[in-house]
Amino acid sequence: MISVKKLTYKYKASNGISFPDFSFEQGDQALILGQSGCGKTTLMHLLSGLLKPQSGTISINQKDISKISRGEMDHFRGQNIGIIFQTPHFIEALNVLENLQITQTLAGNAIDKNRIQTTLDDLGIVHKIKSKVKELSQGEKQRVSIARALINRPSIILADEPTSALDDQNCNAVIELLKQQAQKNNATLLIVTHDNRLNAVFTKKLILS
Amino acid sequence: MNLFKLSWKNIVYRPLSSGLSVLLLASGIAIILITLLTTKQLDDKFENNVKDIDFVVTAKGSRLQALLCNIFQVDTPTGNISWAKSNSIKMYPMVDKAIPLSIGDNYQTYRIVGTTPDYIDLFHGKISEGEIWSKPMEVVLGEGVATKLNLKIGTEFAGGHGLGESTHSHDDILYKVVGILERSNTVLDNLLLTSLESVWVVHAGESHQAKGSLEVKRLDDSTSKESIMTLDEFKRQDSLDNIAIEKSAAENHDEHAHQDHHDHSGHDHGIHKKIVNFDSILKTISPLDREVTGLLVKVKEGAKAKISTSAYINKMKDMMGADVAIEMQQLKQLMAPATGIMEMLAYVIMTIAGISMFIAMFNSLKDRQYEISLMRVLGASATKVFASILIEGLYIALIGFGVGWLFSHLGMQVFSSYLTEQYHYDFSGWVFIKEEVYLLVGAILIGIVSAIYPAYKAYSVDLSKTLSK
Repeated sequence: MISVKKLTYKYKASNGISFPDFSFEQGDQALILGQSGCGKTTLMHLLSGLLKPQSGTISINQKDISKISRGEMDHFRGQNIGIIFQTPHFIEALNVLENLQITQTLAGNAIDKNRIQTTLDDLGIVHKIKSKVKELSQGEKQRVSIARALINRPSIILADEPTSALDDQNCNAVIELLKQQAQKNNATLLIVTHDNRLNAVFTKKLILS
Repeated sequence: MNLFKLSWKNIVYRPLSSGLSVLLLASGIAIILITLLTTKQLDDKFENNVKDIDFVVTAKGSRLQALLCNIFQVDTPTGNISWAKSNSIKMYPMVDKAIPLSIGDNYQTYRIVGTTPDYIDLFHGKISEGEIWSKPMEVVLGEGVATKLNLKIGTEFAGGHGLGESTHSHDDILYKVVGILERSNTVLDNLLLTSLESVWVVHAGESHQAKGSLEVKRLDDSTSKESIMTLDEFKRQDSLDNIAIEKSAAENHDEHAHQDHHDHSGHDHGIHKKIVNFDSILKTISPLDREVTGLLVKVKEGAKAKISTSAYINKMKDMMGADVAIEMQQLKQLMAPATGIMEMLAYVIMTIAGISMFIAMFNSLKDRQYEISLMRVLGASATKVFASILIEGLYIALIGFGVGWLFSHLGMQVFSSYLTEQYHYDFSGWVFIKEEVYLLVGAILIGIVSAIYPAYKAYSVDLSKTLSK
């Protein structure tokens, strides 16, 4: 359901990066590994349509996202792609519940409070539903950002170094939850990382050089 | 959770910077609105009160003072003019109306004005209760006086000497309320109106004593009576015989002799009811000694009527005719710089408000770049992001306008109760003008203009760059 062919990207004043061709099926869980500077974050931004490639195709659910307009991309992303960033950010003026509600609204979905409750419950942070995002711990923030990535039932979840800011205990918990939830929602999970702690947990790996 | 809610939450989340913008905008709006409301109400009062008056004829002195005293009922009189001479102005062929005013007494700081019923007609005043005076000492109240002092038809009271709070009251002869006027939004509302004769009766003897040089002329003897009583104004005095009021001025002196001071105000003491004959009092005042404070003159239609009337009046000794149009022009010119400065100040504050709003939004958006990118990642189009920032600007503009609007009207209300108390001029905070709509539009424009560049910055944010920071 996701396949990449002959993908290249070139920042201004740098050599271009070429990525290997790859494809994953619906429900796959895989790591994308590589040293710092090999283009992991660039690949992730390309996959989520935040950047446009110079050449090559990226198709998600049979749609070539390298060809669609910016507005269309925003909408497609909201509907189909859940993204988890290295450091979780939220809309500070809103509490946990409201952050998840605006996520549903902005993707064009109706607000579904049940969905929010069960997702937060699955992630063990339903008691923080009314908390201000500023008052959450790092681990809690990462869980809320997982909840946000899942809330619209995307077909693909992209995570960029989701564990690098977490200690071992939180790291294990977060990865477990992420795997569980991706499976429960039948979403493809791609984790871009250089965190060796994750090596043992995943069987499918794509290594960039 | 929609865009409107989101923008609202974003404003509330930053109370200091939003508050500053709101405060500045509100101050600008409030200052402009208070200035507009005050000038508007003053202009209205001016217009209503000077309509149909061409000249104010008074004793020589400040023309502006003559106008303020006789038309607007705020300043003190410039002096008195002879009743007989003022009548000659009335007879002048170019004069359409000449209404005499006798000002100088008050009741609880509200002016008692001796005049003719023409004065009420001049302002299109209508009786709502009772009737117009027909005898001396009968009083018709303006609507404001009746309400504020809670006076009813039939109430009797003693007038106070002078125009402020008086130390000395004319409690030897009491006024009696016979009528109440409808509200007219003119000076009538805050006056107590009576006949000229009432004022003469009240001041009989006393004014002459004060003047010293004039002796009280006893005119009871029949030989001179005819020549004096030819004036139309005194025709009705024939019917004034044997009117009962509590005390007569004449008998009052006897009471003084009887050491009966304690019941000067005790009109419920029936035993002291005496018969007074106004005729006999009036007869003690020669028509040549009768005076009024001023004369409101309206000239007949015609190009030369004003010029020739003015020339006629100003030829007379001890009198002047102030041209109302010219004096009003001067009064407005006197006030113009004050309102001009207020307005300028308000525009400066509005500009500062706009700039501060721009800076506040620009700064907050710099901090919120990541959030903005996040909204895009979550599926919001660039246009939606643009709109959400504009909505924030709009909210601040609307709140700023709302707060400023409320404060200006509340402020006007507080200010107006002071004005009403001080000058017996009715102002109100609950007057609304069409300029308020322009101000609202102006505020919205300021909100949009100061939000448009920050919104554009948000619209064109580089997602990948911001998110990989």
